This record gives sequence, C-alpha cells and structure tokens, in this order.
Amino acid sequence: MTPKLFAASTVSLLLATVAQAADSGPIVIGVPVGLSGANSVVAPSVVQEAQLAVDEINTAGGVLGRKLQLEVADDASGAAGAQKAFDSLIYQKKVDALISMETSAARNAGLPAVSKGRVPFIYTSFYEGHSCNKYLFVDAWVPEQQVPPIVDNFAKEKNAKTYFLIGSDYAFGRGMLGFTRSYIEKTGGKVVGEEYLPMDGADWTPILSKLKDAKPDAIITSTAGGAPNVTLTKQMRAAGINLHYANLAVDEGTAKSMGADATGIYLSASYVTGIDSPENKKFLDAANKKFGADLKTPNDLSVPEYEAVYLYKLAVEKAGSTDPAKVIEAMPTVSFTGPRGAIVMDKQHHAPLTMYLGQVQSDGTVKVAATFKDVDPGEQCPNLK
Amino acid sequence: MLLLLDILTTAAILFVVSVGLLAIFGVLKIVNFAHGAWLTIGAYCAVVAVKLGLNPWAGLPIAFVAGALLGGVAELLIIRPLYRRPLDAILATWGLGIVIGQLIALAFGRDVQLIPNLMSGTVRVLSVDYSVYRLFMLFAALAIGVLFALTIEGTRLGLSARAVIMNETLARSLGIDTDRVRLATFMIGAGLAALAGVLLTPLTSVDPNMGVAWLIGAFMLVMVADTSYLALAAACLVFGGAQVLVSTFVSPVLGGISVAVLAALLLRINPRGFSRA
Amino acid sequence: MPEDTALLNGRPASTTALEWRAPAAAALVAALIVWISPLVLGAFAANVLTRSMLYATLAVTVDLLWGFTGILTFGQAAFFGVGAYATAMTMTSLGSTPAWMAAALALAIVLPMVLGLVVGWLSFYHGSTPLYASVISLVFPIVVTQLVYSGGLLTGSSSGLVGYDTLPLDLEGFFRLSGLVMVAVTLAAWVFVRSDAGKLLVAVRDNDVRCAYLGVSPRRVQITLTVALAGVAGVAGFLFAHASGVVAPENTGFLFGTQVVIWVALGGRGSLLGPVFATLAIDYLSASLSGDLPFLWQLVLGAAFVIIIIFLPDGVAGLARRASASIFRSSKQTRVPRIALAAPHSAVERSATLLKVSGLARSFGSLSVLENINLEIRPGELVSIVGPNGAGKTTLIRCLSDGSEPFKGVVEIGGKPMKGLTPDRVVALGVGRKFQVASIFESLTVAECLRLARTTSETPSGIGSAPRLSLPVASIEILRLTGLIDLIASPAGLLSHGMKQALELGMVLALEPRLILLDEPTAGLTKAERATIGTVLRHLTAEAGYAIILVEHDLDFVREISSRVVVLHQGRLVLDGAVDDVVNSETVRTIYSGGGHV
Repeated sequence: MTPKLFAASTVSLLLATVAQAADSGPIVIGVPVGLSGANSVVAPSVVQEAQLAVDEINTAGGVLGRKLQLEVADDASGAAGAQKAFDSLIYQKKVDALISMETSAARNAGLPAVSKGRVPFIYTSFYEGHSCNKYLFVDAWVPEQQVPPIVDNFAKEKNAKTYFLIGSDYAFGRGMLGFTRSYIEKTGGKVVGEEYLPMDGADWTPILSKLKDAKPDAIITSTAGGAPNVTLTKQMRAAGINLHYANLAVDEGTAKSMGADATGIYLSASYVTGIDSPENKKFLDAANKKFGADLKTPNDLSVPEYEAVYLYKLAVEKAGSTDPAKVIEAMPTVSFTGPRGAIVMDKQHHAPLTMYLGQVQSDGTVKVAATFKDVDPGEQCPNLK
Repeated sequence: MLLLLDILTTAAILFVVSVGLLAIFGVLKIVNFAHGAWLTIGAYCAVVAVKLGLNPWAGLPIAFVAGALLGGVAELLIIRPLYRRPLDAILATWGLGIVIGQLIALAFGRDVQLIPNLMSGTVRVLSVDYSVYRLFMLFAALAIGVLFALTIEGTRLGLSARAVIMNETLARSLGIDTDRVRLATFMIGAGLAALAGVLLTPLTSVDPNMGVAWLIGAFMLVMVADTSYLALAAACLVFGGAQVLVSTFVSPVLGGISVAVLAALLLRINPRGFSRA
Repeated sequence: MPEDTALLNGRPASTTALEWRAPAAAALVAALIVWISPLVLGAFAANVLTRSMLYATLAVTVDLLWGFTGILTFGQAAFFGVGAYATAMTMTSLGSTPAWMAAALALAIVLPMVLGLVVGWLSFYHGSTPLYASVISLVFPIVVTQLVYSGGLLTGSSSGLVGYDTLPLDLEGFFRLSGLVMVAVTLAAWVFVRSDAGKLLVAVRDNDVRCAYLGVSPRRVQITLTVALAGVAGVAGFLFAHASGVVAPENTGFLFGTQVVIWVALGGRGSLLGPVFATLAIDYLSASLSGDLPFLWQLVLGAAFVIIIIFLPDGVAGLARRASASIFRSSKQTRVPRIALAAPHSAVERSATLLKVSGLARSFGSLSVLENINLEIRPGELVSIVGPNGAGKTTLIRCLSDGSEPFKGVVEIGGKPMKGLTPDRVVALGVGRKFQVASIFESLTVAECLRLARTTSETPSGIGSAPRLSLPVASIEILRLTGLIDLIASPAGLLSHGMKQALELGMVLALEPRLILLDEPTAGLTKAERATIGTVLRHLTAEAGYAIILVEHDLDFVREISSRVVVLHQGRLVLDGAVDDVVNSETVRTIYSGGGHV
C-alpha cells in the first residue's frame, strides 16, 4: 500500500467514524462568555442558567434522543479574547450551536467565525441593536424596547427636561446612548452632556465633575454590564450625586451586590425576579433547588440564556436534525414560554418582549412601577425577513 | 473649586500609590514591576477582612503585614540574585506580578469583588459638595508622607538607607549591612504598596488585574522623582494636575496617559527629573 | 615594512560559500513544511498557527533588538498594532480594491517606520541609558492603545474593527503566506547577524562607548535598527489584519508587548530560532487549553519566565546549545579572515598644528578640575602628560575627545573646533582614544573587533563576511609583536589582560588616527609588553607622522619614549618641555611627593 493510499483510507475511515458519532453523540452547545474582564460579574449567572436548562432538558430525555452538553470558554469580555474563544469552540470543540451573553465587542469579533463556520448563534444579551447575520438570533431587548419607558417616565412623572448621558466607549455604549439622545430630543427634552470612558476605564472623576457643573435633571448611563457599572455608581454616590438616575445596562444581580449605592436606580428590563407568573415561580424554585446558596440572582442578562437553550431545543426538534441550515430556518418559528413569558424570535431574528420599569429598593430588590406588554423591537434587520 | 480639589486629591492618590515604589527604586536601584500585584494583594486583604466579618479598615494592618512578609520572600528569592542586572530585574518582577495575579485569580476567582466602602458620602467644602473619601486621601497622603520622611530622616534605618542610596559600596565598607537595609526597604516598600491597595478599594473595582493600570503611572512618577520623596510629591502634583486638566478639557482617555507622556518627555530633556543634582 | 601577511595566521581562507548553504537549506525545508502543513493540520490548528507565525516574526524583531543589540523593548507590539490598524482602517473607511490594499500595505510599513523614527529619537541620544530606552518602549504602546480608544468610530474604540474586506485568500492561503513571511524574515535576520555589519549590533550592546570612539555612532545604529524593524512589524500587522479579520486594541498594547518579550526570553534571547519556536509552541498551547487551564497555564508560564530570567538567561536555546556542545564536543569552526595590508591614508603634513588647546577649563559645580590649559601639538610629537592622581589628566583626555563635555575654551583638531561634537564625529576629525581599562567587545572575536575598527574606512557587508581584513601597518605590527596574530579567532573576552590592551591599541591604530590619546596604556603590563608598546608608539610618531598624547605614571617609560612632557597639577599646566628638563625638575619631585598644594 503506498503511503498516499494508506493516508487516504485512514482519513476516510476516521471521517466515517466521526460522521456516525455526529448523529448519536451529545449535542454540544458552546458558551463563550466573559469569565474575566468587565462581564465577569454577571458571567457566573449566565453559566448557571445554561446549566439549569441543559440539566432539565437532559432529565426529560434530551433533544431527539441525544443529550445536551455545554462547553464554556472565556472571551475576556472583549474582541481579542472573543476571537480566541470562538475559534476554540467552533474549530476545536466543533460545537453545534453557540448560545451566550457577551459584550458587543466580543459578539462583533466572533461573527466572522460564526459565518465561516456556519454555526447557529443565539445572542442572549440586551444590546444596541442592528446586528444582523443569518446565523444570529437575539432573544433579549434592543433600545427600541427599553429606552422609551424610562425617558417617558422621567419626562412625564418627574418633569425632567435636561439629561446627562454617560457610557462605555464601544458599540453598545454609543449605540444605546445614540438612540437615547434621539428619543429624548424627539420627545422634547435636551441632552446637556454625553461622555464616554473605554470599557475597562475605572476613573470617572473628570466626567462626574463635568456632570456636576452641567446640573442636569436626570442621568442616563449605559456602561458595559458588570464592573464599569459598579465603579461608576460607587463614584457617583461618593461624589454626592443623587439625581434621577436610570441605568440602561444594570441587572438585578449587579444591583444587589452594589448594596446601598444602588438604591433609587431606575431600570427597564425584560426580567425581574418579582414577575408574578407560574413559569417564573417554577423557574425560581428549580434554580434554588439546583444551586441552593450558590445561586447567583437570575437577572435580565442570564434568564434569556435559559430560555435560549429551550428555543434551540425546539428548533432542532422542529428541524429534525442539528444541520445548521435547517435549524436556522426553524428558529424564528418556535415559541417557548419561560419566566419572561412567550418568546418568539420572529421579528427579523429579534423578539417582542414584555418590559418592566422598576426602581431598585434599599434591600436590593426591584419594585416594578409599570409594565409594557409585547413591545416590538422595531426594524432591526430589514434584510433578514 | 471642584477642579482644584480634583487635582489635589488625584495628586494625593498618586503619591500614596507611588511612595512604596520610590523607596525600593531609591535604595535597591531596581524598578519593582510587581508593584501592581502588591496593590492587588492589599486590595484582596481588604476582601479577606470583610469575608472574615471584620471592619474593612482592618484590612490596612493586615495588608501592610502581608505585603511586607511577601515582599521579604520576594527580595530574598528573586531580587537578590538580580542585583547586578537591573533590566532583568524589571522582567523578573513583571513575571512575579503575573504569578501573583494568577494565584489570586485561582484563589478568589477572576471576577470582580465588591466590598463595602471604607467611607462614603460627601461633605461641603467651600460651596462645593465633595467626596469625603477623596478628601480623606489627602490626609492619608500627608500622613504617609510625614511618616516616611520621619523614617528616612530620623531613624537608623533611614540613615543607612540614605547612605546606600548615595553610595552603596562606600556604605558597605563603612560596616553598614547593606543586604539587611535592602531587605528592610523592600519589605517596607511592599507593605506600603499593599496599604495603598486597600486605600484604593473605594475608588476602583477589585479584580486580579487591577494593579496593572496603576503600575505605569507610579513607575513614571518614580523615574522623574529619582530618589527624593519631596520630588515625588512635586511630580504627583504637577502630573496629577495635568492628568485632571487633560481629562476634563480634552478627553478622559488622553488624560489617562498624560502622566506617562509628560514624564517621558521631561526625562528626555532633563534625565535627573524633578530631583536636583 | 612587513610584506603581505596573507597567510600569517596559517588558517585557510574564509569559507563564505559554505556559510550560505546551511541556512538556505534550512529555510527551504522550513518553507516546504509551511507549504504542506495546511493539508495535515485541522482548521483550528491552522487558524491559530497562522497568527502564531506572525507573532513569531515579531519575536524575531524583538530578539534582534534585545538579544543582539541590548535594547529591552516592549514597543514592537505597538508597531505591529499600528500596522494592523492602518490596514483595517483603510479597508473599512477608504475601500478594499487592490489599489487600496496596496495603499494599506504601504501605510502599514511607512507609518510604523515614521513612529519608529520618533521613538528612536526619543530613546537614543548621546548620554541616554538603556533603562530610559526601555521606559520609552513601555510608554509608546500605552499611548498607541489610548489613541485607539479615543478614536471613536474611526478606530472602533473598545470594539475594535471587524467585518472589513480582506485579501481573497482562504485559510490555507493565509497560513502559507504568514509562514513564508516568517521564514523569510528569520532567514534575513540570520544572514544579517552573521554578516560583518551584523556584528555592529553586538558591538553596540557590549560597549557602545567604544563604538562611538571607533567612529560609529551607536545612536544611529540603534535608531536605524528601530526604524527598519518597525517596518517589519508593520508588515506582520498588515498580514494579521487580513488573516484574523479582527483588529482590537489588545493587539497594540503593552501587555502584548510584554508577552513577546516573555516568548523571546523563554526561547533564548540572541538565538533567533529559540524565540521563533518558543512563540509557536506557547501561543499554540495557550489557544488549545480551554476551561480553567488557560489560567493555570499563565501561572506556569509566569513562573517559568521568572526562573529562566534568574537562572537561565540564555533561555531554552542556551540550554540546547550547551547540551549539544557537551554531546558533540565539536569546536566551532569560525571563519577567519585573511589579514592584508591596507593602503595608508594620505601622509600627514609635518608642520601643521594638529591639536590646539586654548584656555580650556572644566568645572563640576564649584569644583574646578581644569583651569586655563593651553597646549599645541604637532605631528610626530609624543607628548606625555604626567601628574599625581586627581590632577585632571583623564578629564583633559575626555575634553579632547568628547565634544559634548561642557568645557570652556577652544579645542581645535587640524584647525577644526571640536566643541559640541559627539565622540564619533571627533573620531572623524582624526582622533583615536585608548582607555585605561581595555575597552573592547568581549563577545566578538579578535578579528571581528578589528574589522569593526575599520568600519569608517570600509563599510562592512550586510549579507556576508568579507574574506579579507585590511589593516594598516601599525595594527599589524602590534598584532605580530604581541603574538595576538595567532589568536585572531579567539573571543576577545577570553584574552589575558595584556592581550586585551594590545587588541584595543590595535583597534585604535586601525582607525589611522592622526592624533592618538592613550590613557595609561602600560597599566598592568609586563616589562616585555611595555617595551613592545613603547617601540610601536615611537615608531608611529617618528616614522608615520602620528601625534600621540600619553597619560602615564611610569616615569621611566615616559623618559624612554616621549619627545615632550607636560605636567598637570591640580588642574593647571605647570610644566611643558623636553623630557630631561621636566623629569629632573624640582617642581615635579615636590608635586609627586605631596608638597606644593595651593
């Protein structure tokens, strides 16, 4: 046997084995998430929610008779780290799908690999909107759903006319505040300051001094989820700033750990632990049972992860296989009723969501002030029907 | 007024962070690139103190002792062999910083730690509401500076240290145990760094890599100050002021590098920096 | 006059031809491996290694700067990042037609080189320290990163740039392109460091003062190297932008810069291949480990780095070299050039004043070291300067050879004032200086040291080693009389004290300087060695028309060879005249016995 023939037959034998394994082995879900860096505060909750969903589904028999398996990789909350994480998950671990919450920097950096590797990707983080890719689906909110309730409330209930905007300098921060600014101006308000720090920046002193000088009626912030939220709020309170403060990017978990500094913050979320529905109660019971004292507060950044795993399960079952082309065709058609209600990603790969306007209380919980049912995400990706 | 307070408090914070590095650079003539890691060690001592149920202020003595002890070990094992190779000492201490950071991450996790503030609230200072903690830092810097000055000028160790700074060979030939002076200085410098780490916790997020951002600024200030703590105070004021002014009127991003850039340019023009010949 | 000393050392002529074959063959094999690899590697490995190979190219540039030239730099990452960003920004904002791609490549080369010029000017100047150069190399990437962060939509800020059009190559294409660039750069570096010009790097690292006093400005070498390697880093950045499709601020930062230094240190600085393999191995392993392991891995790497720096500064390559040396026990056949006689410079006019010193004064603060020195020296004179320690002799020599010394008064060499000229430019006026402690290049061989001394008369080749080394008769004379001619191939660092002095004298004489400044040339020499040096010096002044200024304590030596003696005491010139008059004078006796202090 010539070396070439030997090599060829070995390769084809291996391929055959692999192909066989592909149909009966576990379905691997990759979770690239910020285990280090800015998102590291919220990442543990995301991983927990994914684990909870996977365990529940596996106990109930799995998907098409196959078990689900998680592969977690650290994207360092940034572009460079995401590139490595996506490479590792797509080419080394050969995942069947990617389901995760990440910073926009990480998401954008990973999309080329997603397209090249043809892997369905459910993005479970709220973000600035308009990220479009035929493999990308989003089950979390976009500014069109989150910002109007806050600005309307400030304008009508608190007579706020001038606003100061602070954000992290990347796609999310700029995207969110850009939308906020145009909504404020459209509804008759005025923006008296708009300042940014890089995602990893921790010294807000000069920006806070500017804020004090500008004397706005209200503050709206949009930093990366996690550490930047903490440092900004801490330093704001230390500087004695107690104006009406809406944070577009804080989740209940981070708010709770901020302690007293978080009291009074307004947020607009698609999930709060206080949601009064049978699905939410069942979910919270299961979470508490599984993780006990180690449970990280389920929040607006992690609950969509739980629901996304179920949505993927439903899509695979409808498609009859994990073949990417079939799965992405089935994805916009399946609906899952989870802690946040019925989720369908049928609006140009985005989902209408029920939004809750709430205020953080002194004990760290969020008190809901108003509810808005099935808010439309708007025209996010007109080219993906 | 706000601007003036920002400048003074920023200078104070920079001084507190850099003074430990200055002591080590002056006496041992090496740049301790693990300084950032010692800041982190200090901050995590505060985390430990809180976890043990103690008052966060208890973190201060814990940090100083822990920092000094670990500093002693580092000096004996890593700095001493590289006595004649200052550039290699920079690299070795950088490596040490990496090792410490990873050990902390393994022990405490990579995520950000949140601990209660040492001090919160504001106080009215001349028609302006200003952060109590930042004002406290002014006093902390003064206290540390005075203590440092008293040690250098008034104690035997300080005298020996000054002799070593000026001429180590001569000091040794006069009977001063320079090895012990170097060890003691490194321990004090490391202890001060850890102390600074605790004092930083209300101002920044606590995670395994928090120290790196402060390292470069501290390093450049020490280069400019050479061996004089008065020069360090002056440098902190001038460059800290520049940082605040650039951050406020140009951009916070460029403000962050003003210390490094201005220091580098100053050293190019006058290699002795702020210290007089 | 000695005849052509072509076969004086008895060794065969150089083997330049053979020197080419080994590296060329190795490069060819490496290129072949690079070509075939994509067929056997999986997509993940190919993806990762494409980037690793570009990092390895960067590591080669860091090794050239640090391992060979002694410049510890964290800044190459910034040049890499600037190249990558220039490329991505061009593709994103201006367009991705082939014309724009070519423009991006040009920008990726030119922009880093311009920045390299700025960084070089900042870091390397007369009197700069290696620490300061490292400081600048640290600040520079931080500045670049922050500029990227403040660039808003233009640079993508924290998000970086993604989604721009790239070169129309597939994964295999990029792998091969990166690999071939890596092989080419490594080969070029290898050839360069083996060449005569490449020895300049080691010379600058070992003894930059000596370089300056051989007429070669070390600053120019350092700046030129920085600029050239910035361009190479920029090319690697260009390829990175295309191969990875994502450019992020982390690619420009100082953390990345320190990582490259770590790879070079672990691989073995100064070995070229060590850093290449270390980079490939470590980067690939880092990418392959998932879950918690990357953090344990970082810990292991950090610890290994500390251990290597302290105990094994030569890295793994050094270890391998020592292991293979003990196994194979072969002596390196260094190629040895043939010594030949160089045609002398034009003869010196005997009558013109060579050195004129008027009112020279030098003080350090309030301490005055030299006061009102007036001196005139003509070709053919052998002037000895004597005086007790602390009289200012070495300071005087320094003022005569280094124009950047802040002295008062006028010093003219051949009629040209030398105030303000750095040593390399003073050497160009025809001055050669020999130091009290033998100032040579310890890592180079005797032949290489001598060849470097000839740099200003014969530009060294950048790609090979010339088979012939032309030296003036005076140098050859020294080599022959001291027996150094038989040790042409040995490393200068292994020579005895006397031989080192002889080598330095040989190097200085190779400059064919009209005025030679010697600072205690007989210190530590045996009687025989002293006699030899004396003969040569007398010969140089009497027959070749050189002028020599000699600082000496050995009054017998002074009496034997000098044509004139000058006495310096407490910074003032107290006597200047014929040998016998001065040596026997009362003044000298009083001064040397400690009396006569003002």
